[in-house]
Amino acid sequence: MTPHNIKKAGAGDDFAIQTFNLTRKFNSLVAVDDIDLNIKRGELFALLGPNGAGKTTTINMLCCLLKPTSGTAQVLGYDIQKQPFKIKETIGVSPQETVISEHLNSQENLALIGKIHGIDSTELKTRTQELLVTLGLESRAKDQVRKFSGGMKRRLNIAMALIHNPRVLFLDEPSLGLDPQARRAIWEYIIKLKREKTILLTTHYMDEADFLADRIGIMDEGKIVALGTSTKLKTDMVERQTMIIQAQSFTQKVINEMRSRYEEVEVTEDRMAISDKKLVFQEIVDLLHTSGVTVSSAYMKEPTLDDVFLRITGKELRE
Amino acid sequence: MRVWELCKRNLKETYRDPMALGFLLGFPLVFMLLFGAIFSGDNTANYPVGVIDEDHTPLSQAFINEALAKVSALEVTTYDDADTAMKDLKFGDLDAYIVIPQGFGQQVNSNWQGEKADITLEMTYDESDIQISEQLISTINAVTRTFARIEIPLTINANPIHIEAKITYVDFIGPGIIIFGLLILIPTSARTVVRDKEKGFLSRLLTTPTRPLDFILGYSLCLVVIAIAQIIIFMVAAWLLGMNIIGSLWLAFLILFLTGLCSIGVGMVVASLSKTEQQAEPLCWLISMPLAMLSGCWFSIQLMPSYLRGFANAFPYAHSIEASRGVLIRGVGLEAISYDFLFLVGWAVAIFVIGVMLFRRSMRS
Repeated sequence: MTPHNIKKAGAGDDFAIQTFNLTRKFNSLVAVDDIDLNIKRGELFALLGPNGAGKTTTINMLCCLLKPTSGTAQVLGYDIQKQPFKIKETIGVSPQETVISEHLNSQENLALIGKIHGIDSTELKTRTQELLVTLGLESRAKDQVRKFSGGMKRRLNIAMALIHNPRVLFLDEPSLGLDPQARRAIWEYIIKLKREKTILLTTHYMDEADFLADRIGIMDEGKIVALGTSTKLKTDMVERQTMIIQAQSFTQKVINEMRSRYEEVEVTEDRMAISDKKLVFQEIVDLLHTSGVTVSSAYMKEPTLDDVFLRITGKELRE
Repeated sequence: MRVWELCKRNLKETYRDPMALGFLLGFPLVFMLLFGAIFSGDNTANYPVGVIDEDHTPLSQAFINEALAKVSALEVTTYDDADTAMKDLKFGDLDAYIVIPQGFGQQVNSNWQGEKADITLEMTYDESDIQISEQLISTINAVTRTFARIEIPLTINANPIHIEAKITYVDFIGPGIIIFGLLILIPTSARTVVRDKEKGFLSRLLTTPTRPLDFILGYSLCLVVIAIAQIIIFMVAAWLLGMNIIGSLWLAFLILFLTGLCSIGVGMVVASLSKTEQQAEPLCWLISMPLAMLSGCWFSIQLMPSYLRGFANAFPYAHSIEASRGVLIRGVGLEAISYDFLFLVGWAVAIFVIGVMLFRRSMRS
């Protein structure tokens, strides 16, 4: 019938989430600009971008909270505008803000969502226990959650998206504002969910996307500006290599010598950073050695997603 | 099912929050206790009585100053006209007023001369407290007979009028404060919903198969339970403070319940129109405080200029105060308050329909 249905018939088995020219405007601001995404079943896909890139707006449209201005999307083959309740039955959403019922304990919070999804009480009990144990909330199961630490609330926030065993999981900035230890705990749990569920995660931490995602879509000003695996993004997008050398000191002669050979040389006391399109590690070490520099350490700096982002948008990915 | 789960959650959020609970019950209760304490004044049998002298003779003057003024049970105030006295009677400053008709002095004089005399006094009193009015009639009767030296009973043209009883101030203020408590349900209702909206809880639930109507019913049901608890607690408190409940408790409860529904509906409307608690809160107070004043929670709305009364009567609260006073204090039945009752039903239905519509609209984005 409609072109979307034809696409669904062909690709519905492979893709859990598909967007078709998905666009959302807020007055004159184009928050999401003509996005086409295909997320495979069982894939963990990360939308990476700075605040205000349109990641949350995208998620909100996919979980039927927000209507697109134009274009549409499908989740598990259901259209977000025509069958929102079919979608809502199959997804779990962990919002960016920690949204829990403060005066309820964690069991009651989980039970509320579980019962809304119509899970029977025996299953609810087992699943609640399971989730509380895995997320390390078991010992405080009966405490009102307003007494929880930020990390615990965050974990409960995610547990509430999982209690009904959804097939598609949306995690909007799952580790926002957490200390490194708590982030690690959440990451480990997300890794466990991989393959079992399709996960769409948004983050503005590149290390998070790097560590967790099968594929990354880099988003900026409403557009997907780059898409691929972390490695592919880095190798494709970063044309420049960087090498860092530590030594006792660098004479002006050596610095000048290096500057004549390579595009960019930065020196701060005992540290030299060399960047160029192509660098050969051994060549540089030898060169320094023959110039009388005692190299104490040297390494090739791996490009990061931050470099990728900087390269594409001319901006830093930081907040 | 979903509605019940949401309702349960909302109730837990309320009763586990001491601040919210304290505000809901404590605030109006403090008002009730204060008013009760201020106006409880141990009723020494001092009956304020007004006198209007239409005779203007030395004898009528003597009757007022010598006879009436010397009765310790009476607190006599003279008035120039009956209208002013009537106003004070209605407001409860007087228990009765007496009009000394023209020719009173002459008739008393005739009696003293041994001639046939017809001594008449006109007494207007509040019949709602039979104890006071009977005692007053007999006191005045006795005083006058002594003064006029008559053997035969004196004719007192009794003119009972029915005004709101003034047995104690609590009787008058009780229903008013209960309604005030139900007016406070407006900010409470709005806050309950807007807080969840602002903190994203509504959005979170909207990513589940919860339908907008589930929310509205979930919140309303919770607030209805709160309203019922409030009504019961306040009725008991008013009764403990000495309000004489004469009429049907069920009818009074029904009136108060409908009033509660109106407040919940107004709260829903405000919640639908606001995005944050900071927007909703002042708006609610702007609605509920003037309504509390204009509807007669603390004083009789008969004192207000008619355009204000007209304004107050467009809202349910003046009607429910009127109706609940009628039922609780005067013991009237449904037929006597049918207009107010129907007005309340209509208002509750209308505001709920509007609330549901606006709420659904505010959910769509």
